[in-house]
Amino acid sequence: MTAYMITFFVMVGVFMIGCFALKWPVGVSMLAAALCGALEGMLAHGTGLAQTLSDTIRMMVEGEFGYVDTILTIATAMIFMKVIEASGALDALSSLLIEKFHKVPAVLLILIMFIIMFPGMITGSSTAAVLSAGSIMAPVLLLLGLDNVTAGAIIAMGGILGMIAPPVNTAALVICAGIDVPYVGFTGPLLLLTFPLAILFVLLLGLPKVKNLDYEKLKPALVKQDATRKEYGVKIYIPFFVLVVLMIFFKVIAQKIGVDDLGMPVIFLASAIVGLFTGRKINPLKTVTEAVRTATPVMAILMGVGMFIEIMTATGVRGFIVMTCLEIPEALWIIACCISIPLFGAVSSFGACSVLGVPFAYIYGTYLNGNVVVCLAAISLIASVGDMMPPTALAGLFAAQVTGVKQYTKILKKCIIPIIILLVWAGFILVKSKMFAWSVFG
Amino acid sequence: MKKKGLVSTCIILAVAIFMACFAGISFYKKRHFVEDVVTEGSAVTRTEKLSKYNQYLANSFGDVDIYVLEGEEEGGSVLILGGTHANEPAGHMAAIVMLEQFKPTKGTVYVIPNICQSGLSHNDPLEGTPQYIHFTTANGDVRTFHFGSRASNPIDQWPDPDTYLHTSGDWTPRYENASKNTTQTLSGSEVRNQNRCYPGIANGTLTEKVSYAVTNMINTLKIDMVIDLHESSPEYAVNNAIVAHEKALEIAGISATINLEAEQGIKIKVEPSPVNLRGLTHRELGDYTDAFALLCEVGNPSQGRFRGYTDEALAITGKDPCYKVASEIHNGALLYVDYSSGDFPISLRVARHVATVAALIENMGFDYPDKEVIIDNVPDYQEMVDGDNLGLWLR
Repeated sequence: MTAYMITFFVMVGVFMIGCFALKWPVGVSMLAAALCGALEGMLAHGTGLAQTLSDTIRMMVEGEFGYVDTILTIATAMIFMKVIEASGALDALSSLLIEKFHKVPAVLLILIMFIIMFPGMITGSSTAAVLSAGSIMAPVLLLLGLDNVTAGAIIAMGGILGMIAPPVNTAALVICAGIDVPYVGFTGPLLLLTFPLAILFVLLLGLPKVKNLDYEKLKPALVKQDATRKEYGVKIYIPFFVLVVLMIFFKVIAQKIGVDDLGMPVIFLASAIVGLFTGRKINPLKTVTEAVRTATPVMAILMGVGMFIEIMTATGVRGFIVMTCLEIPEALWIIACCISIPLFGAVSSFGACSVLGVPFAYIYGTYLNGNVVVCLAAISLIASVGDMMPPTALAGLFAAQVTGVKQYTKILKKCIIPIIILLVWAGFILVKSKMFAWSVFG
Repeated sequence: MKKKGLVSTCIILAVAIFMACFAGISFYKKRHFVEDVVTEGSAVTRTEKLSKYNQYLANSFGDVDIYVLEGEEEGGSVLILGGTHANEPAGHMAAIVMLEQFKPTKGTVYVIPNICQSGLSHNDPLEGTPQYIHFTTANGDVRTFHFGSRASNPIDQWPDPDTYLHTSGDWTPRYENASKNTTQTLSGSEVRNQNRCYPGIANGTLTEKVSYAVTNMINTLKIDMVIDLHESSPEYAVNNAIVAHEKALEIAGISATINLEAEQGIKIKVEPSPVNLRGLTHRELGDYTDAFALLCEVGNPSQGRFRGYTDEALAITGKDPCYKVASEIHNGALLYVDYSSGDFPISLRVARHVATVAALIENMGFDYPDKEVIIDNVPDYQEMVDGDNLGLWLR
């Protein structure tokens, strides 16, 4: 175990030096950390140099494939976002929503929150939620008078609650697969866990700033948006309709009628192509280049994370981390669960579900005799916080991008109180899972 | 400055291309590596292709060999499946040991040691597992076998859906109390899990096609018993166990208590197949065929989440410091196997499978004389464990 600890410190140390001393991009720092960890871990274990080099190269490339689907989703979602931004669709929708709902700002905020959550609910991905609905709602929030950081915080929290809300919760599905529990009965517990928090968070963060919304004062700022809306009419909203219809069809209906899921990347691309013809004239080459350039740092982080996890696992560091969490006294398990899973989520929230979520699901569902479905649902909510943890912080980083916040950490700071409330709520339901057994349905 | 940037870009690009090519060659070799199953001197009388039972499998990566071991006297029949999960090497190796060692004198034994050939052809990203395992036989030959992935290769079916909706396809249940619900939502990646795709769909994904072929084979040949060989991580609740469909519970119970525990000192649990967990061999093959459907599990530290340094040695010896710690804390409640020895060698894991299969077959013949299968040359459990070298049981 001491050897694993040394490898752990080597990996973390190289990552920190790369990030903070040498100012390398996060993805490159993770690559360097994985490389050094592999060389130190394998050579110290007594593996020959040739074998070490061969395994290191193979595993680093293999690790990159762990996130290839997510990387494709991010790239195509960013293309969609840039297209609807350039076409004027975002402007038009902002103008429409504010005009219709400015008299009831609390209802408007809750509506916005549910819209942000929706793509996450049917894809199980916070990235999809933030980059699609989040990017659409960002200008609305900003026009309502929210500052960029608060708008980003609402979008980020909406993204992570959306990925946990039913019907599709990938985090819970990962844990279900790990302990062979069917994904049945989760709708009730997941609704209970997410919707009260969604309403609370959006009102907590947003209402103080919009409760005295004066539409007349806001009008001059909406001139451009109103003009775009009038110029193109309903036509400009077609990309949104296409996105929503394709998502609902392929994520909810298709499998039931025997049609294959096209996948989010194709859905985003199809919607983006439609967006080229429904509003302002767009230069596709320029827009796509800009989108990929914007998404590249995050895609690089995910590739680095893939290498990092693969090497952590191969060298025994992952086992060392898991055992360190589980070795603590039984009374502190809930604290360990609420801290270790989100922290591991800094590398990958779904990875945290598989590595730590599964043992904790056994502990609370079987060993401590709780309600398995409620326990799994609660653990999945805890794991969602991982998408706010740097360096990956998919929900937070993309929320910062769509709201124009340069330092993601400002959004993280704004989200600290909601995150604490979320962890306390999820932890309480996890510990008292039997008390919430009535919620198991769907 | 611009020139300097260009130079560094070129260097990074060259390194990336080198790494991609190096790793690509390694992936290509693994994808096309063919294990040498030795039939010479064994009781294998013929081989068939799995596509015989599903035409859509023909010439695909899932069109594997079925090894047929026929006794001189007619009797019952058994199908043994290995390699369902390719990261569970004892399941795969036990099937190979049985096809190379078993000599049926009555009845027929069908063995498919690599039922998920696609899973054997790659490794799981993020898991850091070895690509191969090696064994030295009694005559000094080194034989190489795959260590693969729990799921089929994405090259064969990609992308995974967000969720996998399991269905029973066009099959009609043959078991009167078969599970009523015909669909179930599972994690998207489970669409590539061979043991979640039964009874299978003839022209579905590669994984579903393979499952369909197995179900159809059992029905066509009227096979009496099917045994699926697995391993499970030590923290998984179903461990060192036989999971049995309702029809096979009695056979499993007698095998566990009398043949295994009382006669050979092998502690093994019997678990009834859950009726609400779909797509598994012990559930669907019990519901959709007339066979006794059983699945065997044995603890394997090399696939667990607590494991430390992961390499070929761990897969073979099962020696792991993290699991040792796990066995000592919280009164051992974190694990479902006795790991006090600090190891769980593959010779022991395979020996458990061989002994369990032999006991199940024997008891089927005892309870149903018309289905009797008699096998000679079954490797002795204690000899396999004491020898601690699986290579001695390979030809």
